Amino acid sequence: MNSVNIAKLKEIVGAENVRDNKADLYVYGSDASVHEAMPQAIVRPQNTEQVQELMRYANSEKIPVIPRGSGSGMCGQVVPVMGGIILDMKGMNRILEINTPDGYCRVQPGVVDNDLNAALKPHGVFYPPTPASGVVATIGGEIANNASGTRAVKYGAARDAVLAMKVVLANGDCVSLGSNTRVASSGYPLERLMVGSEGTLGVIVEATLRFVPIPKLRCLGIAKFNTLAEAGDAISEIMGSGCQPSMLELIDKIAIVAANKAEKLGLPEVEAILLFEADGMAKETIDPEIEKFQAICEKHNGFGLEFSYDEKERARIFAGRAKLFPSLSKYDERLASTSLADDMAVPFSKMAETAKKIHEVAQRHGLVMTAYGHCGAGCMHTKILMDTDKDFQWEAARQAVAEIYDYVRSVGGTTSAEHGIGLSKAAAFKAEKATTLELMRGIKKVFDPNNILNPGKLMDGPDDWVEATRLRYQVSKAG
Amino acid sequence: MTQLAKLEKWKGTLNKCIRCGYCYEHCQIYKSSRWEIDSPRGKLILLYGLLSGEVEPSDYVANKLFECFHCNRCQKACSSGVPIQDVYADAREFFLESGFDVVGTTSQTDHDLCARCLNCVRMCPHEARSFVDGKIVTDRLKCQSCGSCLDICSEKAVAIGRGFGTNPDELQRSIKLFFTQNSNAKAIVFSCSWSTFPGFQTANFDEQEADPETLTLVTVCSGRLNSQTVLETLLQGAWGVLICCCPESDCAHGGSGRAKARMNALQKTLEEIGIDPRRIQVSEVAQGNTKLFSETTKKFMDEISDLGALSIGGKQ
Repeated sequence: MNSVNIAKLKEIVGAENVRDNKADLYVYGSDASVHEAMPQAIVRPQNTEQVQELMRYANSEKIPVIPRGSGSGMCGQVVPVMGGIILDMKGMNRILEINTPDGYCRVQPGVVDNDLNAALKPHGVFYPPTPASGVVATIGGEIANNASGTRAVKYGAARDAVLAMKVVLANGDCVSLGSNTRVASSGYPLERLMVGSEGTLGVIVEATLRFVPIPKLRCLGIAKFNTLAEAGDAISEIMGSGCQPSMLELIDKIAIVAANKAEKLGLPEVEAILLFEADGMAKETIDPEIEKFQAICEKHNGFGLEFSYDEKERARIFAGRAKLFPSLSKYDERLASTSLADDMAVPFSKMAETAKKIHEVAQRHGLVMTAYGHCGAGCMHTKILMDTDKDFQWEAARQAVAEIYDYVRSVGGTTSAEHGIGLSKAAAFKAEKATTLELMRGIKKVFDPNNILNPGKLMDGPDDWVEATRLRYQVSKAG
Repeated sequence: MTQLAKLEKWKGTLNKCIRCGYCYEHCQIYKSSRWEIDSPRGKLILLYGLLSGEVEPSDYVANKLFECFHCNRCQKACSSGVPIQDVYADAREFFLESGFDVVGTTSQTDHDLCARCLNCVRMCPHEARSFVDGKIVTDRLKCQSCGSCLDICSEKAVAIGRGFGTNPDELQRSIKLFFTQNSNAKAIVFSCSWSTFPGFQTANFDEQEADPETLTLVTVCSGRLNSQTVLETLLQGAWGVLICCCPESDCAHGGSGRAKARMNALQKTLEEIGIDPRRIQVSEVAQGNTKLFSETTKKFMDEISDLGALSIGGKQ
C-alpha cells in the first residue's frame, strides 16, 4: 500500500479536518468490538465534493478508505485491518429535508439516529429502526449495517426504511440510487444492495428515508417465566398467532441481573421475562393484542403478568433495555463484557432452543453468556462475559463462538440479525454464504476494482477473528 | 515511566468499558469538536493505549485529559459502571508528575493584567487558586473549569483557553449566527453543563428546513454567564433570554446563586429603562429533568410571545 499524503488530504478538506497524530489514530483504530488496528489518517469531509476528491486520490494511490460513523459497531466493521484513511462522516450531519406530504426525509450520513427522531417528532412521525444505540449511531452507519432494534418486529430494519441514496463510488463518481417513492419496480434495487454492505461498495453521502406516524398509545406488558423453554414456546406461539407486537423482547436471568445492577430497573430476577408492547391510535385496537399476549403467556406458564399504558414507566423500562449492552459489564466484577457472538437470527420456533444452546456452550467452556434479544424479529443477542486478560479465556471464546454459529446455521438461522459482520463474524458469515461468496466478490469488483473500500471485511474477512488484528485487551499467558 | 503504576490499577476497569459510545451525547467537549478523542470514550481509549504502550505520553495526550468540564454526566450515564472521573484524576496526576505542559480547560491567569486583588483566590469554590511568589497559581488538579475566577476578575486577566463553545466570545458568535440565519428566531436558552440541555446537539438542519424560535447554548456554569452576553443577545434581536441553571443546593460552584443575583440586577436595570423584566428569566432545572426543561422553555416562550418583539437591536 502506498503511504498517505497528509498534505494532499489537507488540501482537499482543510487542515482542520485532518488528524494524523498517533493518539488520534489509536482512538479511531477501534470501535465497540474486541479488535484494534491503526489507520494512517483520519479525514472529516464536509461535503460530497470533498468525498469525491478523496476517493479519486485514494483510488489512484490504492489506499484503503474506511467510512466511519460514531464507531459504535460491535464486530470491527470500521477497524482498519489494512490501514488507510478513516473517513469520519460525522462532519456531514445535516438534516436536509423533512417532507411530510411525501412521507420521507433526506439526511446526510453523520446525523445521529436520536437527533433525527427529535427533529421528526414535531411532525408526528418517527424513523422506525430504533436501535438501542440510537443515542450515538449515525444514519450512515445504520444503513451500512442494516441496523434495527426493538421495533423491527413491526416496523422493519434500515433496509425497509431506505428509499434512495447518493453514494460516492471508489472512483469518485457520485451516483443516485433508488427513488423518493414507496414503490419502484424495475431494475436492480442498488440502494438496497448498499444496505448491509458495511462500507465495502461506496460511501453514502445522502439518504432518503421513509418515516411512519408516531402511535398515539403504547401499552407495555411483562411476563415472567421459570424456564427459557416456556418463554421460547410463548414467543413462537405469539408470532404464529397473528399478534402484532411493536416490541417483543426476551431477556434471560443474566441480562436481568446486569440491568438491575446497572440501571436499577427492578425487573423480577426469574429465568426469563418477555417484554411485549402493542401500539396504535386507539385503545380498542391495542387491548385485544395485549389480551392475546396474556392468554398465550399464561398457557405457557407465564406468571406475574402486568400491563401499563403509563408513558413514564414504559420509557424507564425502554431506556434500561437500550442500555443492556453496557450494563452487562456490571454482572460480575471479575468479568468484562465482550461483543462476541453478539447477534444472530433464528426462526421463532428455535428461540428457546438457541438460548438454551448458548447457555450450554458457555458453561462447557467456562464462560458466561447471556441470551436476550428482539425475539419478535427472530433476533437473539448474546455477549461473552470473561476475564479478558487470560489467554485461555480467549481460546474458550473462539471455540464457543464457532459452536454457536454452527448451531445457528443448522437450524436455518443467519449470522447477523442487525449488528453486521465486520471481522468478528466473518468466518461464520463465510460458512453461511459459501455458495454466494464468489458472486459477492464479483459485485465488489464491479464497484471497487482496486479493493480500497473497507477491505478485509464481509466475504473477505478473516477466518480466525482472534488472530485477525491485535485484540484491544492486554492478554497475558499466565493463565 | 514508573508513574504509570498509578494507572495500572485501572486496567481491569478500562476493560469494563465496552466502548459503546453512549457517553458521547453527555459531553459538551465532544459535542463541540466531534472528534472522538474529545469524548469520554476516546479519553479512556487513550489511557488504555498508554498502559499497553500503543500511545506515547505527550503534551497533546496530557491536554486531552485536562479538557473536561467536570459535569460528571459521562460517569453517571455509564451503565458499565466505569468511574470515569476517578480514572481521569489519576491520569492527570500522572501527567503533571511527569512534567507535561498542561493547560486543558483549566483557568489561566495573565500576570501582566492581574491586579493581585486575590478575589479569585477567595472566590474559587474548589480552592484551586493561590498566591505564590507574587503570582496567582492554578492548581490544575483542583480546577474544575467552572469559570468562577473569570467571573470575579475585573481586569479580565483570567481565561479558559479552549472553551469548546462556552467562552463568551464563542457564545456571542453562535448567538449572532442564530439571529442572522433564522427569521423566526426569538430567544436564547442558556443551560449550564450540570443542568439539563437537550440531546439535539450533533445534527444541524439545512437552512431552508428549519426556522427555529430558540437556540440552546451550553455555558458550563450559569454563574459564568455575564450580563454583557445577555444584553448582547437582546441587541441581536432576541425577545427574551432564559437561563436554566442547576438547583442552588446542587451547584458545586456557587454559580446558580450568582446567576440569579446578576440577572435580578439586570432585570431591575431593564425595568428602569422600560423593558419588561420578564424578558430575562432564570429557572432551576436539575440534571436529567428533560421534562421540566421542556416545560420551562415552553412557558417562557409563551410569556415572551405575549410580550412581542423588543424595540431595540437589529430585529423587530
